[in-house]
Amino acid sequence: MPMKKFMNDPANLTAEMLEGLGLAYSDKVKIVNERIVVRAQPKAEDKVALICFGGTGHEPAMHGFVGEGMADAAVAGDVFAAPGGPKVFEAIEMFKRPAGVILLTLNHNGDRMAARKALRLAEKAGIENVKEIIVQEDIAPGIDADPEDRRGLGGCIPLMKIMGAACEAGKNIDEVLAIGNAFHAQLATLSVALKVATHPQNGAEIGALADDEMEIGMGQHGEGGGGVMKVQSADETAKIMIERLVAATKLESGDRALLIINGSGATTAMEMLICYRAAAKVLMGMGISLVNGLATELLTVQEMAGFQMTLAKVTPETEALLKATANTPYWTCNG
Amino acid sequence: MTLEQFKAIWQKAQIDINANEKRFSELDAATGGDGDHGTAIVAALNAIVHAEGDDFKAYITDMAEKLETEASGSTSSLYGAWCEGMADAVAAGKTELDAEELAEMFEGGFDEICCVTKARKGDKTMMDALQPATEALLAAKDQGEAAMFAAAAAAAKAGSEATAQMQAKFGRARNLGERSIGAIDAGSASMAVIFAAFVA
Repeated sequence: MPMKKFMNDPANLTAEMLEGLGLAYSDKVKIVNERIVVRAQPKAEDKVALICFGGTGHEPAMHGFVGEGMADAAVAGDVFAAPGGPKVFEAIEMFKRPAGVILLTLNHNGDRMAARKALRLAEKAGIENVKEIIVQEDIAPGIDADPEDRRGLGGCIPLMKIMGAACEAGKNIDEVLAIGNAFHAQLATLSVALKVATHPQNGAEIGALADDEMEIGMGQHGEGGGGVMKVQSADETAKIMIERLVAATKLESGDRALLIINGSGATTAMEMLICYRAAAKVLMGMGISLVNGLATELLTVQEMAGFQMTLAKVTPETEALLKATANTPYWTCNG
Repeated sequence: MTLEQFKAIWQKAQIDINANEKRFSELDAATGGDGDHGTAIVAALNAIVHAEGDDFKAYITDMAEKLETEASGSTSSLYGAWCEGMADAVAAGKTELDAEELAEMFEGGFDEICCVTKARKGDKTMMDALQPATEALLAAKDQGEAAMFAAAAAAAKAGSEATAQMQAKFGRARNLGERSIGAIDAGSASMAVIFAAFVA
């Protein structure tokens, strides 16, 4: 089927999308240096800055989560392509401060290379106190897989919420990193796809799935990951996924957890809520209680049908950080 | 090789890469990537041909600079590292390089790219073209420039074709496992096209 999307020149997709973000949410964000989304009102200089970056085409991630209580800046690359290292470095230079800068990197080859380059440039420029956290919470390669083989998926968004709130609360850089690392240690995501996406710049389908098939464990871009099976019911699908996520996060009866259903772009809110319900019931049946969750689009893959299910253990400290004030285009909390 | 010849080679490479854009994207999709290598390599070459410089070192340094500021994605980061390594291996002020200096330049480029990726020959990536091409180029340096680049281009082409039988171990295709076998790797195919442009 030919691609049907509302667009102009495919070469301008990212620039026009960012322009739209700035216009729609002018009270929260603005675009600087063409590809860097920053807060409309910067936070105090004495607080740690949190910077994220990545390819576009995954909206609202990452630039939709810039604002009070979350990221200070998001550096956009191009469709499914990480920004270059020098562009990420520009953001680091913009936000350098004695309190420090944390770069949040998703584990994908292009992102890791850009981060390495940006950190090297920061070091050469004598910018001190720049640290990195790598998001690698996809359990598709297996629970015991080498972390280097685990990609960063939508779990980066609650991680950014928690770390952003910790920065806002005035924690120092080591404390923010410790909070982030502890949350990440018991954070897991698994994805499922029903229909593949098309690449908006060339119209080609990314991957292939038969009409009666679904695939558990596909990545952020629809690249394969095993787990092709006949389409299952919402309850069956959620059960298969949540059991693997519980095993990965080592959640036990009496624990508190955050559950997120993150739609991939063409899955309805109705389906997301039905799957949330199914997974939540399995968790409650295990004696695991839930903090307020999310069933919405956080990190999409164009018009892919499917979702990512994210599960994380929550402590009283992380629960408070999840509830803390946030004012970004796509995640708002009243505190 | 003079700097003017070197610049002309990249102009020619850009035309050849543009002509193959669709094929590279199709290969990328067929091997489990996200189907945009054509877009990525065209963007990289478009950035490269904007480079300026009056000697090899300055020109190739600017190639790296343009790659990393005008283009996005891992292709540009890898080509940027390749160019940085080449620039580091060339003495300042040179506007003409002999076979020995060209060999050192390509060796420097390969060493630098090895610092930014763990992928090597056999992993079904661009390295399947670049590594054998660099090895062939170094092995032929006593036979002069023309023989060096003929050997490098042939090795890049053969290395790229051999990727059809390989299983991807890097990039987005690695999670596809055995399903990545069958088509040649897109990054190796474009690298082979670039080495072909060095053959007069």
